[in-house]
Amino acid sequence: MAEQRDDLLIALRYALLKKGTKQKFSLFFLIIVSVLVIILDKLSYSYITKTRAVLNDFIYQVAIVTSSPEKFTKYLIDRGIHHYSVYDENNLLKEQNAELKAQLVNNQFLKTENEMLKEALKLNSNKSIEQDVSVIAKVVIDQESPYLKSFLLNKGTSDGVKKGMTVFSDKYLIGTIVEANYLTSRVLLINDLNSKIPVIIQDSNVNAILSGQGVKRRMVLDYLPEQYQLEPGRNIYTSGKDGILAAGIAVGETYYNEKDKIVEVRTLADLDQTLFVQITNGQLR
Amino acid sequence: MLSFKFIKEKFIKSLPLVILYFLSLNSFVLVNDIPNVDVFSFNLQMIIIYFYALKFPEYLGFGHVFLIGIFKDVLIGTPLGSTALCYLVLCLVATYLRNVTLRPRLASEWFTFVPALFFSNATYFTIINNFSNLSFYYVELLRVTFFTFLFFPIFYFFLNSHLKLYNKDNA
Repeated sequence: MAEQRDDLLIALRYALLKKGTKQKFSLFFLIIVSVLVIILDKLSYSYITKTRAVLNDFIYQVAIVTSSPEKFTKYLIDRGIHHYSVYDENNLLKEQNAELKAQLVNNQFLKTENEMLKEALKLNSNKSIEQDVSVIAKVVIDQESPYLKSFLLNKGTSDGVKKGMTVFSDKYLIGTIVEANYLTSRVLLINDLNSKIPVIIQDSNVNAILSGQGVKRRMVLDYLPEQYQLEPGRNIYTSGKDGILAAGIAVGETYYNEKDKIVEVRTLADLDQTLFVQITNGQLR
Repeated sequence: MLSFKFIKEKFIKSLPLVILYFLSLNSFVLVNDIPNVDVFSFNLQMIIIYFYALKFPEYLGFGHVFLIGIFKDVLIGTPLGSTALCYLVLCLVATYLRNVTLRPRLASEWFTFVPALFFSNATYFTIINNFSNLSFYYVELLRVTFFTFLFFPIFYFFLNSHLKLYNKDNA
């Protein structure tokens, strides 16, 4: 028994300390370095944060260059698929266009009426939620990870981007900035498991927390009232109760999942197709 | 003057490292891009690292493994050093198994991949839970780990072919 333990220790010590042929570092040394890096990263001193920002920028730039062949391949495949669906898409768009034209007339009337009523009530729009910084950025890396859903953007603190700013795609909220480097920044997407947004459901006074699921566009509403039944075709807006996001930003919609026979929530923006985004420090107007 | 044979030899030898760097710097995940098939997603990097650390550590400098982990951490957004440590633990288990194994066989190497994956993932999640506020789906990790284990023999065949190709060139 003691001999077996000795053998195990000898083999383990050998594995840790012995530098194999053509190995520059022993495993023990590299494991210690890794642990130190983790601890230093956790400490978040200003000089560590700056060093990390420089390292991030460098690795992002390298990744942008190395991922270009893959992006080009994806682009070609998407173009090929798109080519075959153009006819059906055209018919669908014609129908939708006709419907939207009809709705537009109605909306213009409602808008005019709304303005008149606001004027009558002397309600001013809330100036504090209007953005004074708005940056257009390009998604440079869409790192596929089974765990974290985030984009890397080509704008950083040099362009006025700060941690906590909101990010929009096609006027729909897609996430918030969680890391701002000098040249690049990272946006945590709303479908990430760590994303929690206070929301309100269209045509109701029901408040809930919209949580990401880490899966494509699917999201889930937490803390709904008991016995509340979700109906398909409802939009989900931010309620502004977190004091960070302004109220009334469209985030998601409910739909009927034919496969599972349940009503689910999905993001309004197609995150897989997002290429350009708008970063603001308030609500997109 | 550099001969063609020398360049070819160098290229073949550094192929696993090139693949590992490419995978860590790219969002390219083989099956994740195919709709309805992403359920089979697996960690190819772990398979390559384990295979070469076990069979031919000369191909795979541990310093490179550390760097690949750091690159991955920066790009995914996990605490810096967590993936590096996870890969190094995988190398440590593989090196230990290499030292205690007399006659390597596919079956034994496949099944010893289980404790290697276990220790590696345990390290990863200990760091994530204690050094960050990130939430993960444990089921997702279990699924990826399971398919990583399941696909090991397939890649074992390909990676073995690479070793044979190099050995044949050197013969």
